[in-house]
Amino acid sequence: MRLPEFEYFEPESLEEAINQLAKNNSCTIIAGGTDLVVALKQRLQNSRYLISLDKIPSLKKITKKDDAVIIGAMSTLDDIINYTLIKEKFPALRKAAWDVGSPLLRSIATIGGNICLNTRCRFYNQSLFWRSSREECFKVGGNICHVAKKKNSCVSTFSADIPPVLISYGARVKLVGANEERVIPLENFYSGDGRFPNVILSGSKEILTEIEIPIPQNNLKSCYHKYRMRESIDFPLIGVSVAIQFNEEKRCGDARIIITGAGTGPVEPAQVRGMLLNKKLNANLISDAAEAAVTEIYPFKTTLISPRYKREVAKIIISEAIREVGGI
Amino acid sequence: MKKTIRLVLNGEEKNLLVNVNQTLLDVLRDDLGLTGTKKGCNQGECGACTVLINGKPVSSCSLLAVKADGKSIDTIESVAKEGHLHPIQIAFNEKGAIQCGFCTPGMILVTKNLLEQNPNPQIDEIKEAISGNICRCTGYLQIINAIKSLAKS
Repeated sequence: MRLPEFEYFEPESLEEAINQLAKNNSCTIIAGGTDLVVALKQRLQNSRYLISLDKIPSLKKITKKDDAVIIGAMSTLDDIINYTLIKEKFPALRKAAWDVGSPLLRSIATIGGNICLNTRCRFYNQSLFWRSSREECFKVGGNICHVAKKKNSCVSTFSADIPPVLISYGARVKLVGANEERVIPLENFYSGDGRFPNVILSGSKEILTEIEIPIPQNNLKSCYHKYRMRESIDFPLIGVSVAIQFNEEKRCGDARIIITGAGTGPVEPAQVRGMLLNKKLNANLISDAAEAAVTEIYPFKTTLISPRYKREVAKIIISEAIREVGGI
Repeated sequence: MKKTIRLVLNGEEKNLLVNVNQTLLDVLRDDLGLTGTKKGCNQGECGACTVLINGKPVSSCSLLAVKADGKSIDTIESVAKEGHLHPIQIAFNEKGAIQCGFCTPGMILVTKNLLEQNPNPQIDEIKEAISGNICRCTGYLQIINAIKSLAKS
Protein backbone atom coordinates (compact mmCIF):
# COMPACT_ATOMS: atom_id res chain seq x y z
CA MET A 1 0.00 0.00 0.00
CA ARG A 2 1.30 3.40 -0.97
CA LEU A 3 0.63 6.64 0.80
CA PRO A 4 -1.94 9.01 -0.71
CA GLU A 5 -0.92 12.40 -2.11
CA PHE A 6 -0.57 15.18 0.43
CA GLU A 7 1.39 18.34 1.06
CA TYR A 8 3.84 18.45 3.91
CA PHE A 9 4.83 21.41 6.06
CA GLU A 10 7.54 21.67 8.67
CA PRO A 11 6.93 24.90 10.58
CA GLU A 12 9.77 26.08 12.79
CA SER A 13 7.65 27.67 15.46
CA LEU A 14 4.44 26.83 17.26
CA GLU A 15 2.76 30.04 16.05
CA GLU A 16 3.48 29.12 12.45
CA ALA A 17 2.08 25.61 13.00
CA ILE A 18 -1.12 26.96 14.56
CA ASN A 19 -1.59 29.49 11.75
CA GLN A 20 -1.26 26.77 9.14
CA LEU A 21 -3.65 24.55 11.04
CA ALA A 22 -6.21 27.37 11.22
CA LYS A 23 -5.79 28.26 7.54
CA ASN A 24 -6.45 24.85 5.97
CA ASN A 25 -9.41 22.60 6.55
CA SER A 26 -8.05 19.20 5.59
CA CYS A 27 -5.08 19.36 7.90
CA THR A 28 -3.55 16.80 10.25
CA ILE A 29 -0.72 17.19 12.71
CA ILE A 30 1.92 14.48 12.39
CA ALA A 31 4.12 13.67 15.41
CA GLY A 32 6.09 10.40 15.23
CA GLY A 33 3.67 9.10 12.62
CA THR A 34 3.89 5.41 13.56
CA ASP A 35 0.08 5.16 13.73
CA LEU A 36 -0.82 7.94 11.30
CA VAL A 37 1.32 6.59 8.44
CA VAL A 38 -0.53 3.26 8.64
CA ALA A 39 -3.89 5.08 8.82
CA LEU A 40 -2.93 7.05 5.71
CA LYS A 41 -1.92 3.88 3.86
CA GLN A 42 -5.27 2.33 4.75
CA ARG A 43 -7.04 5.53 3.64
CA LEU A 44 -8.52 5.97 7.10
CA GLN A 45 -7.23 9.52 7.02
CA ASN A 46 -7.67 11.71 3.99
CA SER A 47 -5.65 14.75 4.85
CA ARG A 48 -4.47 17.03 2.08
CA TYR A 49 -1.96 18.70 4.37
CA LEU A 50 0.29 17.24 7.02
CA ILE A 51 1.93 19.56 9.51
CA SER A 52 5.01 18.06 11.12
CA LEU A 53 6.09 19.26 14.57
CA ASP A 54 9.62 17.90 14.09
CA LYS A 55 11.31 21.26 13.69
CA ILE A 56 9.93 22.84 16.88
CA PRO A 57 12.59 22.04 19.51
CA SER A 58 10.58 23.36 22.47
CA LEU A 59 8.11 20.49 22.09
CA LYS A 60 10.82 17.89 22.69
CA LYS A 61 11.94 19.04 26.13
CA ILE A 62 11.35 17.29 29.42
CA THR A 63 11.86 19.60 32.39
CA LYS A 64 11.18 19.78 36.10
CA LYS A 65 9.28 22.87 37.17
CA ASP A 66 8.57 23.39 40.87
CA ASP A 67 6.69 20.28 41.92
CA ALA A 68 5.76 19.03 38.45
CA VAL A 69 7.38 17.44 35.45
CA ILE A 70 6.61 19.08 32.13
CA ILE A 71 6.90 16.72 29.17
CA GLY A 72 6.95 18.18 25.68
CA ALA A 73 4.39 16.38 23.51
CA MET A 74 7.04 15.47 20.90
CA SER A 75 9.23 13.59 23.41
CA THR A 76 9.68 10.08 22.12
CA LEU A 77 8.76 7.10 24.24
CA ASP A 78 12.48 6.25 24.44
CA ASP A 79 13.12 9.73 25.90
CA ILE A 80 10.46 9.05 28.53
CA ILE A 81 11.86 5.62 29.38
CA ASN A 82 15.38 7.00 29.82
CA TYR A 83 14.61 10.19 31.76
CA THR A 84 15.98 9.78 35.28
CA LEU A 85 13.23 11.58 37.19
CA ILE A 86 10.59 9.49 35.41
CA LYS A 87 12.46 6.33 36.34
CA GLU A 88 12.48 7.42 39.98
CA LYS A 89 9.08 8.98 40.48
CA PHE A 90 6.76 7.60 37.80
CA PRO A 91 7.39 3.84 37.49
CA ALA A 92 3.94 3.25 35.98
CA LEU A 93 4.54 5.84 33.26
CA ARG A 94 7.86 4.25 32.37
CA LYS A 95 6.25 0.79 32.26
CA ALA A 96 3.38 2.00 30.06
CA ALA A 97 5.80 3.71 27.65
CA TRP A 98 7.86 0.52 27.55
CA ASP A 99 4.74 -1.52 26.78
CA VAL A 100 3.90 0.46 23.63
CA GLY A 101 4.65 -1.25 20.30
CA SER A 102 8.23 -2.46 19.94
CA PRO A 103 11.71 -0.95 20.34
CA LEU A 104 11.61 -0.08 16.62
CA LEU A 105 8.55 2.10 17.14
CA ARG A 106 9.39 3.56 20.55
CA SER A 107 12.39 5.37 19.10
CA ILE A 108 10.09 7.48 16.90
CA ALA A 109 6.63 7.31 18.53
CA THR A 110 5.81 10.24 20.82
CA ILE A 111 3.88 10.68 24.04
CA GLY A 112 1.64 13.32 22.40
CA GLY A 113 0.81 10.86 19.65
CA ASN A 114 -0.12 8.18 22.16
CA ILE A 115 -2.43 10.60 23.98
CA CYS A 116 -4.14 11.56 20.69
CA LEU A 117 -4.27 7.95 19.43
CA ASN A 118 -7.44 7.16 17.54
CA THR A 119 -9.77 4.43 18.78
CA ARG A 120 -9.55 1.05 17.07
CA CYS A 121 -11.90 -1.61 15.73
CA ARG A 122 -11.51 -4.78 13.70
CA PHE A 123 -13.91 -3.39 11.09
CA TYR A 124 -12.14 -0.03 10.91
CA ASN A 125 -8.38 -0.67 11.04
CA GLN A 126 -8.32 -2.46 7.70
CA SER A 127 -7.33 -1.56 4.15
CA LEU A 128 -9.73 0.34 1.90
CA PHE A 129 -10.15 -2.82 -0.20
CA TRP A 130 -11.08 -4.92 2.85
CA ARG A 131 -13.52 -2.30 4.07
CA SER A 132 -15.12 -1.92 0.65
CA SER A 133 -16.91 -5.28 1.05
CA ARG A 134 -19.09 -3.82 3.81
CA GLU A 135 -21.34 -0.87 4.26
CA GLU A 136 -19.53 2.16 5.70
CA CYS A 137 -19.69 2.23 9.49
CA PHE A 138 -20.12 5.17 11.89
CA LYS A 139 -16.39 5.57 12.29
CA VAL A 140 -15.92 6.47 8.62
CA GLY A 141 -19.10 8.56 8.44
CA GLY A 142 -21.64 5.81 7.64
CA ASN A 143 -24.81 4.80 9.45
CA ILE A 144 -24.15 1.40 10.93
CA CYS A 145 -21.99 -0.29 13.54
CA HIS A 146 -20.80 -3.75 12.45
CA VAL A 147 -19.86 -4.68 16.02
CA ALA A 148 -23.01 -3.66 17.87
CA LYS A 149 -25.78 -3.70 15.28
CA LYS A 150 -28.38 -2.18 17.58
CA LYS A 151 -26.16 0.65 18.70
CA ASN A 152 -26.66 4.10 17.34
CA SER A 153 -23.06 5.12 17.67
CA CYS A 154 -19.50 3.97 17.15
CA VAL A 155 -18.09 1.62 19.80
CA SER A 156 -14.48 1.55 18.59
CA THR A 157 -12.08 0.91 21.44
CA PHE A 158 -9.65 3.23 23.14
CA SER A 159 -6.32 1.37 23.07
CA ALA A 160 -3.61 3.75 24.25
CA ASP A 161 -1.30 2.66 27.06
CA ILE A 162 -0.02 5.96 28.41
CA PRO A 163 -3.15 8.10 29.03
CA PRO A 164 -4.59 5.89 31.80
CA VAL A 165 -1.33 6.19 33.71
CA LEU A 166 -1.17 9.95 33.22
CA ILE A 167 -4.76 10.32 34.43
CA SER A 168 -4.05 8.27 37.52
CA TYR A 169 -1.13 10.63 38.29
CA GLY A 170 -3.48 13.63 37.87
CA ALA A 171 -1.78 14.93 34.71
CA ARG A 172 -2.99 17.95 32.77
CA VAL A 173 -2.40 18.79 29.12
CA LYS A 174 -1.83 22.12 27.44
CA LEU A 175 -3.76 22.78 24.24
CA VAL A 176 -2.77 25.76 22.15
CA GLY A 177 -5.15 27.21 19.56
CA ALA A 178 -5.11 30.32 17.37
CA ASN A 179 -6.73 32.58 19.97
CA GLU A 180 -6.22 30.96 23.30
CA GLU A 181 -4.34 28.31 25.16
CA ARG A 182 -5.84 26.18 27.88
CA VAL A 183 -4.69 23.59 30.37
CA ILE A 184 -7.17 20.82 31.09
CA PRO A 185 -7.12 17.62 33.16
CA LEU A 186 -6.34 14.79 30.76
CA GLU A 187 -9.62 12.97 31.51
CA ASN A 188 -11.50 15.95 30.03
CA PHE A 189 -9.54 15.56 26.79
CA TYR A 190 -11.56 12.44 25.93
CA SER A 191 -15.12 12.69 24.67
CA GLY A 192 -16.38 9.11 25.02
CA ASP A 193 -17.63 9.31 21.42
CA GLY A 194 -16.09 6.48 19.38
CA ARG A 195 -16.19 8.47 16.19
CA PHE A 196 -14.43 11.56 17.56
CA PRO A 197 -12.75 10.20 20.70
CA ASN A 198 -10.81 13.27 21.78
CA VAL A 199 -10.67 17.05 21.53
CA ILE A 200 -8.13 17.06 18.69
CA LEU A 201 -9.92 14.40 16.60
CA SER A 202 -13.17 16.34 17.07
CA GLY A 203 -11.51 19.04 14.96
CA SER A 204 -10.70 21.64 17.61
CA LYS A 205 -7.77 23.08 15.60
CA GLU A 206 -5.56 23.04 18.64
CA ILE A 207 -2.12 21.53 19.19
CA LEU A 208 -1.29 19.44 22.23
CA THR A 209 2.00 20.95 23.34
CA GLU A 210 2.85 19.63 26.77
CA ILE A 211 1.85 17.33 29.59
CA GLU A 212 2.19 18.44 33.17
CA ILE A 213 2.39 15.77 35.87
CA PRO A 214 2.56 16.68 39.55
CA ILE A 215 5.50 14.92 41.21
CA PRO A 216 3.93 12.46 43.63
CA GLN A 217 4.68 12.18 47.33
CA ASN A 218 6.72 9.18 48.39
CA ASN A 219 3.63 7.44 49.73
CA LEU A 220 1.97 7.26 46.30
CA LYS A 221 2.40 3.80 44.81
CA SER A 222 1.59 3.15 41.18
CA CYS A 223 1.79 0.50 38.51
CA TYR A 224 0.50 -0.34 35.03
CA HIS A 225 -0.57 -3.82 33.97
CA LYS A 226 -1.27 -4.68 30.36
CA TYR A 227 -2.83 -7.79 28.90
CA ARG A 228 -2.35 -8.55 25.21
CA MET A 229 -2.15 -11.52 22.87
CA ARG A 230 1.62 -11.36 22.36
CA GLU A 231 4.27 -9.80 24.53
CA SER A 232 5.24 -7.04 22.10
CA ILE A 233 3.94 -5.05 19.13
CA ASP A 234 0.39 -5.25 20.41
CA PHE A 235 -2.29 -2.91 21.64
CA PRO A 236 -3.73 -3.70 25.06
CA LEU A 237 -6.77 -5.95 25.14
CA ILE A 238 -7.10 -4.60 28.64
CA GLY A 239 -4.74 -2.33 30.51
CA VAL A 240 -5.07 -0.96 34.01
CA SER A 241 -3.25 1.81 35.79
CA VAL A 242 -3.45 1.97 39.56
CA ALA A 243 -2.15 4.83 41.72
CA ILE A 244 -2.92 4.80 45.43
CA GLN A 245 -1.85 7.30 48.04
CA PHE A 246 -1.23 5.54 51.36
CA ASN A 247 -1.32 7.26 54.74
CA GLU A 248 0.93 6.43 57.69
CA GLU A 249 -1.22 3.56 58.89
CA LYS A 250 -1.10 2.09 55.38
CA ARG A 251 -4.73 3.04 54.81
CA CYS A 252 -5.71 4.07 51.28
CA GLY A 253 -6.13 7.76 50.62
CA ASP A 254 -6.97 8.77 47.10
CA ALA A 255 -7.05 5.69 44.85
CA ARG A 256 -7.23 6.09 41.09
CA ILE A 257 -7.86 3.10 38.87
CA ILE A 258 -8.05 3.79 35.15
CA ILE A 259 -8.81 1.13 32.55
CA THR A 260 -7.90 1.13 28.86
CA GLY A 261 -9.21 -1.20 26.16
CA ALA A 262 -12.68 -1.35 27.67
CA GLY A 263 -14.57 1.56 26.15
CA THR A 264 -14.38 4.47 23.74
CA GLY A 265 -12.13 6.32 26.16
CA PRO A 266 -10.23 5.67 29.38
CA VAL A 267 -12.64 4.40 32.04
CA GLU A 268 -12.47 5.17 35.73
CA PRO A 269 -14.84 2.96 37.73
CA ALA A 270 -16.36 5.56 40.05
CA GLN A 271 -17.37 3.39 42.99
CA VAL A 272 -13.93 1.85 43.54
CA ARG A 273 -12.39 5.13 44.71
CA GLY A 274 -14.97 5.31 47.50
CA MET A 275 -14.69 1.61 48.32
CA LEU A 276 -10.98 1.84 49.05
CA LEU A 277 -10.97 5.17 50.89
CA ASN A 278 -9.61 4.90 54.44
CA LYS A 279 -9.39 1.10 54.23
CA LYS A 280 -6.39 -1.13 54.67
CA LEU A 281 -5.88 -3.38 51.65
CA ASN A 282 -6.54 -7.08 52.10
CA ALA A 283 -7.36 -9.97 49.80
CA ASN A 284 -11.15 -9.67 50.23
CA LEU A 285 -11.27 -5.95 49.71
CA ILE A 286 -9.12 -6.21 46.58
CA SER A 287 -11.28 -8.91 45.09
CA ASP A 288 -14.47 -6.91 45.88
CA ALA A 289 -12.94 -3.80 44.32
CA ALA A 290 -12.02 -5.71 41.15
CA GLU A 291 -15.54 -7.22 40.94
CA ALA A 292 -17.05 -3.76 41.33
CA ALA A 293 -14.69 -2.20 38.80
CA VAL A 294 -15.67 -4.56 35.99
CA THR A 295 -19.37 -3.83 36.46
CA GLU A 296 -18.56 -0.35 35.17
CA ILE A 297 -16.86 -1.33 31.93
CA TYR A 298 -18.72 -2.11 28.71
CA PRO A 299 -16.34 -3.80 26.29
CA PHE A 300 -17.54 -4.68 22.78
CA LYS A 301 -16.16 -7.23 20.37
CA THR A 302 -13.93 -4.76 18.54
CA THR A 303 -11.10 -7.31 18.50
CA LEU A 304 -11.43 -11.08 18.13
CA ILE A 305 -11.73 -11.37 21.92
CA SER A 306 -15.19 -11.64 23.45
CA PRO A 307 -16.40 -8.97 25.91
CA ARG A 308 -17.00 -11.65 28.54
CA TYR A 309 -13.38 -12.80 28.33
CA LYS A 310 -12.20 -9.19 28.54
CA ARG A 311 -14.23 -8.67 31.69
CA GLU A 312 -12.72 -11.77 33.32
CA VAL A 313 -9.20 -10.69 32.37
CA ALA A 314 -9.89 -7.17 33.61
CA LYS A 315 -10.91 -8.56 36.98
CA ILE A 316 -7.65 -10.51 37.25
CA ILE A 317 -5.30 -7.74 36.19
CA ILE A 318 -7.05 -5.13 38.35
CA SER A 319 -6.57 -7.42 41.39
CA GLU A 320 -2.94 -8.04 40.45
CA ALA A 321 -2.25 -4.34 40.02
CA ILE A 322 -3.83 -3.37 43.35
CA ARG A 323 -1.93 -6.19 45.06
CA GLU A 324 1.31 -4.91 43.56
CA VAL A 325 0.87 -1.32 44.76
CA GLY A 326 -0.23 -2.55 48.18
CA GLY A 327 2.76 -4.88 48.43
CA ILE A 328 0.48 -7.84 49.13
CA MET B 1 5.07 17.56 -3.66
CA LYS B 2 8.80 16.95 -3.49
CA LYS B 3 11.40 17.95 -0.94
CA THR B 4 15.18 17.75 -0.78
CA ILE B 5 16.60 15.98 2.23
CA ARG B 6 20.20 15.71 3.40
CA LEU B 7 21.31 12.60 5.13
CA VAL B 8 24.33 10.43 5.76
CA LEU B 9 23.47 7.08 4.19
CA ASN B 10 25.80 4.22 5.03
CA GLY B 11 28.55 6.70 5.82
CA GLU B 12 28.13 8.72 2.64
CA GLU B 13 26.60 12.21 2.59
CA LYS B 14 23.65 12.46 0.23
CA ASN B 15 21.17 15.04 -1.00
CA LEU B 16 18.02 13.31 -2.14
CA LEU B 17 14.92 14.66 -3.83
CA VAL B 18 12.02 12.65 -2.42
CA ASN B 19 8.25 12.75 -2.66
CA VAL B 20 6.77 13.80 0.67
CA ASN B 21 4.42 10.83 0.51
CA GLN B 22 7.22 8.27 0.34
CA THR B 23 8.28 6.31 3.36
CA LEU B 24 11.98 5.92 4.03
CA LEU B 25 11.59 2.26 3.04
CA ASP B 26 10.20 3.20 -0.39
CA VAL B 27 13.08 5.60 -1.00
CA LEU B 28 15.68 3.00 0.01
CA ARG B 29 14.20 0.19 -2.07
CA ASP B 30 12.65 1.92 -5.08
CA ASP B 31 14.82 5.00 -5.59
CA LEU B 32 18.20 3.82 -4.32
CA GLY B 33 17.96 0.09 -5.07
CA LEU B 34 18.99 -0.83 -1.51
CA THR B 35 16.78 -3.90 -1.44
CA GLY B 36 18.50 -5.50 1.56
CA THR B 37 15.91 -3.69 3.68
CA LYS B 38 12.76 -5.77 3.32
CA LYS B 39 9.13 -4.79 3.03
CA GLY B 40 7.13 -7.19 5.21
CA CYS B 41 3.86 -6.08 6.78
CA ASN B 42 4.34 -2.42 5.79
CA GLN B 43 2.52 -1.47 9.01
CA GLY B 44 5.31 -1.28 11.57
CA GLU B 45 4.58 -4.67 13.06
CA CYS B 46 7.18 -7.10 11.70
CA GLY B 47 10.57 -5.34 11.79
CA ALA B 48 11.73 -6.61 8.37
CA CYS B 49 12.24 -2.98 7.31
CA THR B 50 14.57 -2.12 10.22
CA VAL B 51 17.27 0.47 9.58
CA LEU B 52 19.50 2.27 12.07
CA ILE B 53 18.79 5.97 12.43
CA ASN B 54 21.51 7.74 14.41
CA GLY B 55 22.43 4.25 15.59
CA LYS B 56 18.94 3.31 16.84
CA PRO B 57 16.77 0.70 15.15
CA VAL B 58 13.61 2.08 13.51
CA SER B 59 10.87 0.61 11.31
CA SER B 60 11.48 2.44 8.04
CA CYS B 61 8.01 1.61 6.66
CA SER B 62 6.46 3.79 9.35
CA LEU B 63 8.73 6.76 8.86
CA LEU B 64 8.18 9.37 6.17
CA ALA B 65 11.41 9.88 4.22
CA VAL B 66 11.26 13.62 4.89
CA LYS B 67 11.54 12.86 8.59
CA ALA B 68 15.00 11.36 7.99
CA ASP B 69 16.30 14.79 7.01
CA GLY B 70 19.55 15.57 8.80
CA LYS B 71 19.90 12.07 10.22
CA SER B 72 22.44 9.32 9.75
CA ILE B 73 20.96 6.13 8.26
CA ASP B 74 22.63 2.73 8.21
CA THR B 75 21.09 -0.14 6.27
CA ILE B 76 22.08 -3.80 6.14
CA GLU B 77 24.28 -2.97 3.12
CA SER B 78 26.66 -1.08 5.46
CA VAL B 79 27.33 -4.04 7.74
CA ALA B 80 29.70 -6.20 5.65
CA LYS B 81 32.92 -4.35 4.83
CA GLU B 82 34.97 -4.87 1.66
CA GLY B 83 33.44 -8.22 0.92
CA HIS B 84 33.99 -9.53 4.45
CA LEU B 85 31.00 -10.48 6.54
CA HIS B 86 30.55 -8.77 9.90
CA PRO B 87 31.08 -11.01 12.98
CA ILE B 88 27.32 -10.83 13.63
CA GLN B 89 26.60 -12.16 10.14
CA ILE B 90 29.15 -14.92 10.59
CA ALA B 91 27.59 -15.91 13.93
CA PHE B 92 24.09 -15.99 12.36
CA ASN B 93 25.42 -18.27 9.59
CA GLU B 94 27.27 -20.58 11.92
CA LYS B 95 24.44 -20.96 14.42
CA GLY B 96 21.81 -21.61 11.75
CA ALA B 97 20.04 -18.39 12.73
CA ILE B 98 19.00 -17.86 9.14
CA GLN B 99 16.28 -19.78 7.35
CA CYS B 100 14.31 -17.96 4.68
CA GLY B 101 16.36 -14.85 5.45
CA PHE B 102 13.56 -12.30 5.27
CA CYS B 103 13.84 -11.16 8.88
CA THR B 104 17.65 -11.46 8.94
CA PRO B 105 18.64 -7.90 7.88
CA GLY B 106 16.42 -6.50 10.64
CA MET B 107 17.65 -9.01 13.21
CA ILE B 108 21.29 -8.21 12.39
CA LEU B 109 20.82 -4.45 12.68
CA VAL B 110 18.96 -4.80 15.96
CA THR B 111 21.77 -7.04 17.23
CA LYS B 112 24.38 -4.52 16.14
CA ASN B 113 22.64 -1.81 18.18
CA LEU B 114 22.19 -4.13 21.16
CA LEU B 115 25.87 -5.13 21.29
CA GLU B 116 26.99 -1.51 20.98
CA GLN B 117 24.81 -0.58 23.97
CA ASN B 118 25.44 -3.72 25.95
CA PRO B 119 28.39 -5.94 24.92
CA ASN B 120 27.32 -8.72 27.26
CA PRO B 121 23.55 -9.08 27.02
CA GLN B 122 21.61 -11.64 29.05
CA ILE B 123 18.94 -13.83 27.44
CA ASP B 124 16.13 -11.53 28.64
CA GLU B 125 17.86 -8.50 27.22
CA ILE B 126 18.34 -10.27 23.89
CA LYS B 127 14.66 -11.21 23.79
CA GLU B 128 13.67 -7.63 24.58
CA ALA B 129 15.99 -6.30 21.86
CA ILE B 130 14.54 -8.54 19.13
CA SER B 131 10.94 -8.18 20.36
CA GLY B 132 10.07 -5.90 17.45
CA ASN B 133 11.31 -8.36 14.81
CA ILE B 134 9.17 -11.28 13.79
CA CYS B 135 10.75 -14.45 12.34
CA ARG B 136 7.98 -16.34 10.55
CA CYS B 137 10.20 -19.42 10.21
CA THR B 138 10.14 -19.21 14.05
CA GLY B 139 13.87 -19.81 14.37
CA TYR B 140 14.10 -17.64 17.46
CA LEU B 141 16.21 -20.03 19.53
CA GLN B 142 18.97 -20.10 16.94
CA ILE B 143 18.83 -16.33 16.65
CA ILE B 144 19.11 -15.92 20.42
CA ASN B 145 21.99 -18.45 20.50
CA ALA B 146 23.80 -16.59 17.73
CA ILE B 147 23.51 -13.30 19.60
CA LYS B 148 24.50 -14.94 22.87
CA SER B 149 27.62 -16.38 21.19
CA LEU B 150 28.71 -12.80 20.43
CA ALA B 151 28.49 -11.68 24.03
CA LYS B 152 31.87 -10.64 25.39
CA SER B 153 32.10 -12.99 28.36
